[in-house]
Amino acid sequence: MEITEAQEAGRSVAVLDGRLDTATAAMTEAKLTEMLKQGGLIADLSGVRYVSSAGLRVLLKAAKQAKEGQVPFAVVGLQPPVREVFEISGFDKIIPAFATRAEAAAA
Amino acid sequence: MRRGARRASLRGTMRPFHLRLPPTLDSVTALQDALEAWSDEAGLPMPVAMRLALVAEEVAANVANHATGASYFEFGAKVESEGIRLSLVDDGPEYDPLAHAAPDTEAPLEDRDPGGLGIHLVRTMTRGAAYARESGLNRLTCTLPVEG
Repeated sequence: MEITEAQEAGRSVAVLDGRLDTATAAMTEAKLTEMLKQGGLIADLSGVRYVSSAGLRVLLKAAKQAKEGQVPFAVVGLQPPVREVFEISGFDKIIPAFATRAEAAAA
Repeated sequence: MRRGARRASLRGTMRPFHLRLPPTLDSVTALQDALEAWSDEAGLPMPVAMRLALVAEEVAANVANHATGASYFEFGAKVESEGIRLSLVDDGPEYDPLAHAAPDTEAPLEDRDPGGLGIHLVRTMTRGAAYARESGLNRLTCTLPVEG
């Protein structure tokens, strides 16, 4: 998993590339936690083709942290296998998902 | 028709997968790497290979995270007519991961707990998930459909 930082219309973007699973959950969580302390965040998952429950746990924590801090958190670019996992877990109902970073930043 | 032919050739030529590992998180990664190679060899469609990797990770991580006292887990996969027959065996204390209620996937964000999501994914993606305690071993079995 590689995570790079970007900006979209003044909003911070975490660009994830790799698998979000048991092996990468801890480092991903540390990075998202740190970025969310600075404000709202968009997690770009275009480069993520695999998310397990360990990865879902990280995204759930990020969404809860954002809610507590009253800042926006959204995901963009869900690939089909990731969307399937989101839907089975009901994450599509609790984490705002957009097709593009621009749409997420404008929401 | 093509699907039928592919399934028949899978069944005819593919060796069963078996891997026994110590119950650690490093083993979960090792299992996934080995399974990925097996999936490639079997020519599994990408969505099926993804679900296979996911189911394997969830059940193996479950043992690595919870089965204090286990000295190993063993994952098996075998292509059969109705799908890929999967099994996970460990020698830890008796534990039925299927005994937990399914998580509430309709609850609002603040009430969500990540617990149980892994097994929920396994139950949803496979058919006939079953647990048995046999000769001092935990045995979890299920079948992953090969279609789609």
